[in-house]
Amino acid sequence: MLDLLIQSILSGIGVGAIYGLIGIGFCVIYNASGIVNFAQGAFVMLGGMLTHAGMTRLGLPLPFAAVISVGVVAVAGVLLERIVVRPLWNRGSTMFVMILATLAAQIVVERMTLIVAGDQPRSLPVFTDLPPLRVFGFAVSFQFLWIVGCSVIVIAGLALFFSSTKTGKAMRACSINRDAAALQGIRVSRMLALAFALSAGLGAIAGILITPTQYTAFNVGVPFAISGFIAAIVGGFGRPLGAFAGGILLGVAQALAIVFLGSAFKNVAALSILLLFLFVRPTGLLGSAK
Amino acid sequence: MSLLRIEGLTRRFGGLVAVDNVTLDIPPQRLSAVIGPNGAGKTTLFNMISGFIPPSAGTVHFDGHEITAQPPESIARRGLIRTFQLVQLFEGLTVLENVKIGCHLHTRGGLLAALMPLAWAQAEEVAVEAEAHRLLEETGLADQAATSAAVLPYGQKRLLEITRALAARPKLLLLDEPAAGLNRQETDALAALLRRIVANGTAILLIEHDMQLVMNVADQVAVLDFGRLIAQGRPEEVRRNPDVIAAYLGSQEAARA
Amino acid sequence: MNSLITIWAKARGNPIALLLWGLAAALVLYSFVTGGYFIAVLHFAFIYTVLVTGLNVFMGFTGQVSFGHNAFAAISGYTSAVLTATYGWEPLPAGLVGLAGALTCALVVGYPVLRLRGHYLAMATLAIGLIAYEVAVQWDSVTKGYMGISGVPPLGVGSFTVVSDRGLLVFLLIAAVLALLSAAGIRRSRLGRAFVAVAGSEDAARALGIDVARYKLIAFTISAAYAAIAGSLFVHAVGFVSPEVFGLAMVVLSFTMLYVGGIGTVAGPMLGAIIISALPESFRTFKDYQDLAYGAALIAILIYAPRGLASLPELWAKWRGKDA
Repeated sequence: MLDLLIQSILSGIGVGAIYGLIGIGFCVIYNASGIVNFAQGAFVMLGGMLTHAGMTRLGLPLPFAAVISVGVVAVAGVLLERIVVRPLWNRGSTMFVMILATLAAQIVVERMTLIVAGDQPRSLPVFTDLPPLRVFGFAVSFQFLWIVGCSVIVIAGLALFFSSTKTGKAMRACSINRDAAALQGIRVSRMLALAFALSAGLGAIAGILITPTQYTAFNVGVPFAISGFIAAIVGGFGRPLGAFAGGILLGVAQALAIVFLGSAFKNVAALSILLLFLFVRPTGLLGSAK
Repeated sequence: MSLLRIEGLTRRFGGLVAVDNVTLDIPPQRLSAVIGPNGAGKTTLFNMISGFIPPSAGTVHFDGHEITAQPPESIARRGLIRTFQLVQLFEGLTVLENVKIGCHLHTRGGLLAALMPLAWAQAEEVAVEAEAHRLLEETGLADQAATSAAVLPYGQKRLLEITRALAARPKLLLLDEPAAGLNRQETDALAALLRRIVANGTAILLIEHDMQLVMNVADQVAVLDFGRLIAQGRPEEVRRNPDVIAAYLGSQEAARA
Repeated sequence: MNSLITIWAKARGNPIALLLWGLAAALVLYSFVTGGYFIAVLHFAFIYTVLVTGLNVFMGFTGQVSFGHNAFAAISGYTSAVLTATYGWEPLPAGLVGLAGALTCALVVGYPVLRLRGHYLAMATLAIGLIAYEVAVQWDSVTKGYMGISGVPPLGVGSFTVVSDRGLLVFLLIAAVLALLSAAGIRRSRLGRAFVAVAGSEDAARALGIDVARYKLIAFTISAAYAAIAGSLFVHAVGFVSPEVFGLAMVVLSFTMLYVGGIGTVAGPMLGAIIISALPESFRTFKDYQDLAYGAALIAILIYAPRGLASLPELWAKWRGKDA
């Protein structure tokens, strides 16, 4: 029993890291603009789908296909910002309208993918085709190591970006006080586009990392977006590190729910956690950054 | 007996004491004013009285009942109606509809009245319409009744907020800087309106900066500085009080009045 | 009723309003006469009119947000379907039980949810809708999961059933008109004024004695009632129910209708419902294109025409210098 538990927790951490990456994407956009981007899931989906397309249609090796797809998805993020978010922003639309528009954008991307690529689920090969490691008697797959390893690198990279580079610091300035940042000569609109590109890239990376362990299809976006959102809420909306912690927590909680209650309760467990936090502690575990 | 009794009312925000142990008695059917330099804690005092923020210490009694830290809608129900420093109109609605909403407290209709043509509800609607028009006549906004509240000039927006508050039939009207942004002419009209309201039996407690207005209309004045009550009494006495003059950083304001 | 008189009075002097109403009436008449496919489109439109009217009360009048009203439609719809198809109940009592269930859920859920604001509120309501979907899928002993329940009997009382398409059209038209009239009645009443006060300024509303939390809950529950009725009507009209019927597509569809028609207006829900239902007829066979078109259309509307069609008469009146 304990074996099953620990094995579940491990797999929960793996999935949770993915949720965390998606949640960080939410935070980046929210911090830069105050918008909740409901189209975040579309980026996750596109990451996996485009990588698959790159490998099968263009015959690219996995690493190349992955990198190119992350780039393409980042561009898609900027397109979303330009086509959907910016016009609404300029018209002073209410935040609800912007949420609705991003939700509609999610549906548009989903349907376009369906039309272009059909509804067959796809998968990617595992990154390292070796049997799982045995750590203290527990199976740790290489994909798990890739997921955790890449997540750590990505987060470290983000932390470095925000704290040490000029652009990163400019983005942080925008999130703290947009008007003051603009007065300092920071191009706020460019920061917004960058935030979307970054967030989209994060989503794509998350999608690519997780696809080998489950499938990808045109409609996996929404469930991932919801999980990422829950991660962000649990961690305290606006705190990237908190979002990652929230993701891990969510992944583990889901894994435990499956063990004790059955797989039918997987989504209900996640949604219940969301409601719990919204009702009891909307500022999340660490408290909101804003 | 005083209509509004504040005892030892205090509000701290972390280390900052915004309102410090203020005790005041506001009589019925009179016009009282609270003045003081910017940041003296006047609006915080109002917010505590009207239930928008809870006090850190002290009590508030209105009309014989304790209302300390009760929610704003309960306090309003007792007859204490306030306006806001930054005008809070229902911008998407007409002037008339704004005032009609003010009548909410003394009417009863609910869902059933909304769906069925009940006689008493229809009579109530007619009465509300009439009362709203009457109030607009009294305050001089009658010809703007069908105008959207959003497009009114600033002075009329303030006037609308007061009209709407009157529709609630208050025993005590709390006005937060009603003359802010008004020109001399509008301020004089406001002064006349305020005296009429008091003459009709409604007490007024107002926060104001405009010394001339306060001196003209107030029956009694209380002065706050750094959250503390530093003077109280009739306008002429308070005006000559050296502490008050010092608090206002020189005699400019006092000389202007 | 009074509402009818007021609507006529407002429309009479305004050519755009008359045009829109005229078009709507012509559409209904046309489908009644020719029959066939177009009637089914209007069935759909009138049912959604009821749902969207409810949304309008909560979001348009009271200025709140809900991405989860499909949950209430699902609760009542499934209750109707299960009680009539599986247990042989009559549609009316089954529908009433469904309505009661949805209202109870709205009260229980509304109380904590409505304390939230902005995107928290949006997300919480979305979660509610998603939970309802999950329950519909997972509780397959009752709901039969993805397969759904078929053989839901048509509407009717006792031996009198509404079987023909035309009969159903008239019935649903009456339901839609009642929905609009009741919403108009609410808007004109003290209750409606309290709602729009909450939307205008919560502080000012409270300062005037309006218990904002309570009125939000009332608006939420009323709108849940409309959604519930729409849900039950749907399962009887179509004869079938599955989780997809009340899924995320319903959310996007109802919002598109709400915004196209004009959020906060009385006639908006019906106008939006008719137009959105009637428009992509040619796409109907390609369901995937349909959703894409809806999504893109919604984005375009939100950007370029956020006040929707029903605000056109107002714009006309302003342009002419009169008050609408």
